[in-house]
Amino acid sequence: MSAPNAVETGQQFRLTFTLNKKGSNPDLPPDLTSNFDVLMGPSTGQSTRMQTINGKTTTEISYSYTYILKAKREGSFEIRPASVEIDGEIVESNSLKIQVVKAQSGQQQPSQNQQQESQSRESVSLGGNNLFIRLELNKQNVYRGEQIIATVKLYADPNIPVSGFDEVNLPTYEGFYTQDIEMPQQINFNREVFNDRIYQVGVLKKTVLFPQQNGTITINPFSMTLLVQQRVRPRSFFDDFFSGIQTVKTTITSSPVRINVKDLPPQPANYYGGVGNFNVTSELSSADVTTNDAVTLKLTITGSGNIRLIRNPQLQLPSDFEIYDPRATDNVRATDSGMTGSKTVEYLFQPRFEGDYVIPSIPFTFFNPASGSYVTRSTPEYTLRVTKGTGDQSASIIGGRHREDLQLIGQDIRYIKQGNPMLKIKGSTFFGTPAFYSLYAGTALLFILLFIIYRKKARENANAALMRNKKANRMAVKRLKEAARFMKQNNNEAFHEAILKAFWGYLSDKLGIAVANLNRETAVENLKSKNVDDPVITNFIEIMDHCEYARYAPSGGSEARSELYKKAEQTMSRLEKQIKR
Amino acid sequence: MTKYIIHRLILTLSGIVFVLNAYARDSIQVIWEKANAFYATEEYQKAVIEYEQILDAGQESAKLYFNLGNAYYKAGDYNNAILNYERAKLLAPQDEDIEFNLRMANQFVVTGIEALPQPFFVRWKNSIINRYPADSWAAISAGLFMVFLLLLGAFLFSRSASVKKLSFWFGILAILLTAFTFSFAARQKEKIDNRNHAIIFCPRVTVKSAPSENSTDLFLLYEGVKVEISDSLDSWKEIRLSDGNLGWLPDSCIVKI
Repeated sequence: MSAPNAVETGQQFRLTFTLNKKGSNPDLPPDLTSNFDVLMGPSTGQSTRMQTINGKTTTEISYSYTYILKAKREGSFEIRPASVEIDGEIVESNSLKIQVVKAQSGQQQPSQNQQQESQSRESVSLGGNNLFIRLELNKQNVYRGEQIIATVKLYADPNIPVSGFDEVNLPTYEGFYTQDIEMPQQINFNREVFNDRIYQVGVLKKTVLFPQQNGTITINPFSMTLLVQQRVRPRSFFDDFFSGIQTVKTTITSSPVRINVKDLPPQPANYYGGVGNFNVTSELSSADVTTNDAVTLKLTITGSGNIRLIRNPQLQLPSDFEIYDPRATDNVRATDSGMTGSKTVEYLFQPRFEGDYVIPSIPFTFFNPASGSYVTRSTPEYTLRVTKGTGDQSASIIGGRHREDLQLIGQDIRYIKQGNPMLKIKGSTFFGTPAFYSLYAGTALLFILLFIIYRKKARENANAALMRNKKANRMAVKRLKEAARFMKQNNNEAFHEAILKAFWGYLSDKLGIAVANLNRETAVENLKSKNVDDPVITNFIEIMDHCEYARYAPSGGSEARSELYKKAEQTMSRLEKQIKR
Repeated sequence: MTKYIIHRLILTLSGIVFVLNAYARDSIQVIWEKANAFYATEEYQKAVIEYEQILDAGQESAKLYFNLGNAYYKAGDYNNAILNYERAKLLAPQDEDIEFNLRMANQFVVTGIEALPQPFFVRWKNSIINRYPADSWAAISAGLFMVFLLLLGAFLFSRSASVKKLSFWFGILAILLTAFTFSFAARQKEKIDNRNHAIIFCPRVTVKSAPSENSTDLFLLYEGVKVEISDSLDSWKEIRLSDGNLGWLPDSCIVKI
């Protein structure tokens, strides 16, 4: 079913049903007559088309039923499907929309005559409302990066025959990233209603725009020159010989268009500049590899929006992987619904060491202008199992590996100190205080004190020796007297012991040697060092021998004892004389 | 009787003073903890106020100055941060953290001054002296003196010739070291007492050739620079930069370390 999509009230138009088979009993939609008058119909037509392709002939026959209708009222009407019976089956047609506008002044009830007349009249004036170009945008309030479809349309009064274009300056979209939508070369004119008037509308260009800056962006006016055929009033006789139709050049200019671009809300992490509606998928080339195998993670972003302007999302890999720059390819189509397509990012990396690694998911955040918010889509996590490759391969690579330097990510001051603040009075130090100096003085004094005490003690000890030296002779005499007493009592053992005691005690005091340390050898040695005469020493030794011998084995009588006593007395007095200080 | 009452009064007063003192010490510990807590919760301004309170109570320590410097640093007041780090360094010249944070804070100083190179022995001497604060040197000196006395005793009373010889030479070494460390301690103490260094606090100050407004402009200094005060006249201070430049500036522009 076909009909013009816009008509004026009172204007006649055709409604045609086309069938590829012969049918019968065409039935118009039931409510058609409430809005339209059926002036005539159905008139049937038949057309046959024969095609011979490679010697094979096909025949196509189409049948048409045409009604002539007239709109009763203004408005937009839907013509419901009509039905027709074909071979006993009822087939329904598509439905149509027809917009009915008010009849244009001067063209009311266009009869055959009037039409004739209007054609002979001077053509409708160019410009103004009759002929203009317009930039149509599907949105005027957008977010930065949101896509807008801009359509350049030529509007012409149906009575202006546009024969061609001379010069076309299409708009320059400054401040936008643009993507042209592919259009057929031939410009088709459609009837369209604009401001309650019917125009022939030709779409010259369609472009997808992505605003790149905030604020109001103005698209400057653009112009084009058209060739329009115009009938001119014959001014001279000769003109009649010619057709009377002239081709006139006329330049028309569009009016500027403003677009309000809103800034995006604060951008979250993982935002890579995507505005639109996207989906992400990913694919890992292999989950089970050996070291130094190349692994590819393929990330595909599909959807509609500014796909070309999306930066490559970041992939956080373990740091000891060899990572190559990601490779991105995009496959984008600009259509009437905007820019759609896909962007594929391939991350290539080589694991260096064996182990199980987790390849984290890649969060991809984009701005959805429809909801006015950020949306995050993530790829799944992968586990990569790396087994050891052939030995020498990895060895050669490790040999060539350079050590990574420690990388400082940030700098900050060291943290405050905790614990006891160890406060002191301001400016006070231990140095210079009386306590400090008294430490020196005190230790020095203590030292001197100790020194003095030591010296005194030493002197006293020395004095004690002197005293004993002085007293030695007296003590010896005393002991000898005691011996004499034992001699009178005939006490043999006590007598000898007393003499021994007298000598040892005397030597001990005189030589300054403790009795315990004194024996015959030391005594002789000391006596010699004191320059005592040898005969005296031999006497001394004889007395010692005799005493020690006679002490246990009583021998001799009182004479022997008195002789020994005399000898001891003599030796003693000689020793006393000879031992000098 | 009156004597007795006065006696009691003095006793109670001294008791109160003692209690107050203990209370003050206690509350300072509390303030310290509070300030550290403020720092931990990143309320640096409040931490600064608390630390300053301890300083106002007449107490100081390297740790306190260090933490105060940190709080100033985090609050964005780099002049005060440098000042307090320098003060902390005076009390604990050996502390590596202070040195590090001071270097961090000095990154914000606009004026770059290249210090005059010092002869190696001066550098060595300074690095040795700065290894310990005054009190540590003092303690070392006193300790060495005692060692000297011990060696002297060994020299005097020992009968063995080798011990006498050893103790003699080590004793001389000990008394020399005592003298040296004493002088080091004196040096450190002098630094604390004299405080002849200062930090520029004016955002921008013109250094003059003489202590008067009309004298020749010599050079410009920006805030945060450490200078040595070499002389003063009225409200003017003669300063010396580490690169050897001399000049006068009003003392309202500097804060002594």
